[in-house]
Amino acid sequence: MFGSINTSMILAILPEIMLFILAGFVFVFDLVWDDSQRRNLGWISAGGFSLIIMISLMLGTPGSDSGLVWGGMLRHDWLGFAFKMLFLFGATITALFAMDVEDLGKKGEFYLLLIFSTLGMTLMASSSNLIMLYLSIEATSLPLYILAGFFKDDDKSTEAGFKYFLFGAMASAIMLYGFSLLYGFSGTTDLDAIAGVIKAGGMNPVLLVGTLLMILVGFGFKISAVPFHFWAPDVYEGAPTVVAGFLSTASKAAGFTVLIRVLLTSYAPASDTWMMVLAIISTLTMTLGNTLALAQKNIKRLLAYSSIAHAGYILIGVVAISELGITGSIFYIIVYLITNLAAFGIVSVVGRITGSDEISAYDGLSRRSPWLGLAMLVVFLSLAGMPPFGGFIVKVLVLASAVKAKLFWLAFVGILNSIIGLYYYLIVLKHVYLYRSENEQVEIPVTRPYAIGLIVLTIGIILLGVVISPWFNVSTIAAKVLF
Amino acid sequence: MTTELILFFSLALIAIITGLGLLISKNAIYAALYLVLNFFTIAIFYLLLGGAFIAMAQVSVYAGAIMVLFLFVIMILGAEKLGKSNTVAWQRPVAIILSIILLIEAGYVLFWRTAPVQAAQTLPDGFGGPASIGNVLLNNYLLPFEITSVLLLVAMIGAIVLTHKQKTDKEV
Amino acid sequence: MIPTTYYIVLSALLFTIGALGVLIRRNAIIIFMAIELMLNAANLAFVAFTRMYGIIDGQVFVFFVMTVAAAEVAVGLALIVAIFRTKHNIDIDQLNNLKG
Repeated sequence: MFGSINTSMILAILPEIMLFILAGFVFVFDLVWDDSQRRNLGWISAGGFSLIIMISLMLGTPGSDSGLVWGGMLRHDWLGFAFKMLFLFGATITALFAMDVEDLGKKGEFYLLLIFSTLGMTLMASSSNLIMLYLSIEATSLPLYILAGFFKDDDKSTEAGFKYFLFGAMASAIMLYGFSLLYGFSGTTDLDAIAGVIKAGGMNPVLLVGTLLMILVGFGFKISAVPFHFWAPDVYEGAPTVVAGFLSTASKAAGFTVLIRVLLTSYAPASDTWMMVLAIISTLTMTLGNTLALAQKNIKRLLAYSSIAHAGYILIGVVAISELGITGSIFYIIVYLITNLAAFGIVSVVGRITGSDEISAYDGLSRRSPWLGLAMLVVFLSLAGMPPFGGFIVKVLVLASAVKAKLFWLAFVGILNSIIGLYYYLIVLKHVYLYRSENEQVEIPVTRPYAIGLIVLTIGIILLGVVISPWFNVSTIAAKVLF
Repeated sequence: MTTELILFFSLALIAIITGLGLLISKNAIYAALYLVLNFFTIAIFYLLLGGAFIAMAQVSVYAGAIMVLFLFVIMILGAEKLGKSNTVAWQRPVAIILSIILLIEAGYVLFWRTAPVQAAQTLPDGFGGPASIGNVLLNNYLLPFEITSVLLLVAMIGAIVLTHKQKTDKEV
Repeated sequence: MIPTTYYIVLSALLFTIGALGVLIRRNAIIIFMAIELMLNAANLAFVAFTRMYGIIDGQVFVFFVMTVAAAEVAVGLALIVAIFRTKHNIDIDQLNNLKG
């Protein structure tokens, strides 16, 4: 093996290698710098992530041949590559947002855990073997457990970290058992080879459904789909807000990547079997997320239930099992990542200044800081699916794919849920724009890295809704890989 | 009834009894010791199944390192005496019903739908030994092998980050 | 020769006992030990299947699972210690700061 490492293999894992090097830099600088300069680690991380994106786009794009590399562990194709860039972008913004958070931005360990979690995610995106899949899922989750519990003196944070860990360890144990049965009854750990075995009828249908359900427990946990969503509101509320933002976007996107890949590669020959299961999960997820969000008074919990609902919408595109459906889902994940990161970013800065995460703390935000109010307007309208923001286009896409696949009832449920969703998003905006509070003259200072991050995201949301074709093309190329 | 079958069934019985011991023991240290015994039993199963290296790894990593860590933490936290372990009333019967259903399904699938699968009769020489595993590990599975290094580093960082006591100015 | 099926049934039994442990017990450390039992059940299934096919890949998977389990235990126990420091209690029914 050592003798046969060639350039294409190195280029296939170029982002991962560069992430390692970035981690090395952060290590060294964390050691050398003292407390006052340590904040610059944020600039190094964010700059490093962006540099990795640029170099990968120049050198490491997959060609038309999507081959297996590294002994069959990874598949270098556009599906994996597009998601890798997305994760790196999410990590950049998170590093920027975290730079001025107390107890977070000055700790080298935070940036290191962020880098390693992103490393796990990039590997998840291109795994094509059960062993690599399991390892990369664990390599992603382990830093996230630690990050969720990072404020170790805070009751809520340690509890959030512990709950996340417990649920995650159990879900991944169930998933591993599913993997063991899948390996046992198909004889191989390679995802494509398993598809071959299923197609040839080598697997008992009961066993097929059984292993699929067990694996869905693990994946469903990562995307917080019902009935594996119980951890999300508590963890998002307790964890440091920037960590909650990263969890709710990048980690969920990584979960979707593996879900799409495994379902549409390994289980593709049996798609009639799992389509209904997934459709039911999607319906429950959307409905539960939206209805429970209506009753929330804490904005982090509201955003948690809202992200559960969005996972349901993304699943609609997967259920459609068509190129349009997967394109819609991928495009939705891109828009969702940008929008939710911005939402949690705004919550992070307002929470820090006002000291509260209740919705009533947002009263009169538009007068205290018009720009933050405007950003919040853009973000929440996009989450609700209003034109001309990104959220509108992607909802249309996934619903269209459901209609095209003759799943009219699913599309109807999706539309109903979007209407319910609109209600609670507008309530928050009502607090921001129409209510007044006594603190109206107290300004909310934003620091430079935070401002850069938020501006990039807000422009992104508008851009994704207006200039559609580049993103649509990328999603289509990524989706074509699977069909 | 060959000796192998007798050996298998007695070991299986020990494994299940120690598992149940973990399940119902009121004292955390006893539970940990039951689990250690369980791990030893599973290590012997691995030997029976031709996985010599994995059996050694099971004893040294699982029973030797992981369980020792558990016992350390139990001692540090003083958790060996548990309070009255009355669970929420509805959870216990529901859990038991669910597990019975699961077991019935497992048995059904395995016994009546498929014929019992026989193992491959002959194994290549040195199967399950360090050389054969190392060969595959460093050739086909090189990338996962390198990623485990990241995993272990993250675990170290995490353990320190979560438990390191900062000396603040308030503490004397 | 012991049929692989017997090993799979044993592994299913151990997995169920572990799952029961997670659902029923309230002490965080014991729940965690039950999760380890579940992982071991999966490992047993892997090694049994490896014996059946005669190809070593399953045992390599077990090797990796052990590594992951070790890392997870380190992090999990650190989290438990962190919780104990703030609450002086590791009963999971007492973890209700974040409800509602």
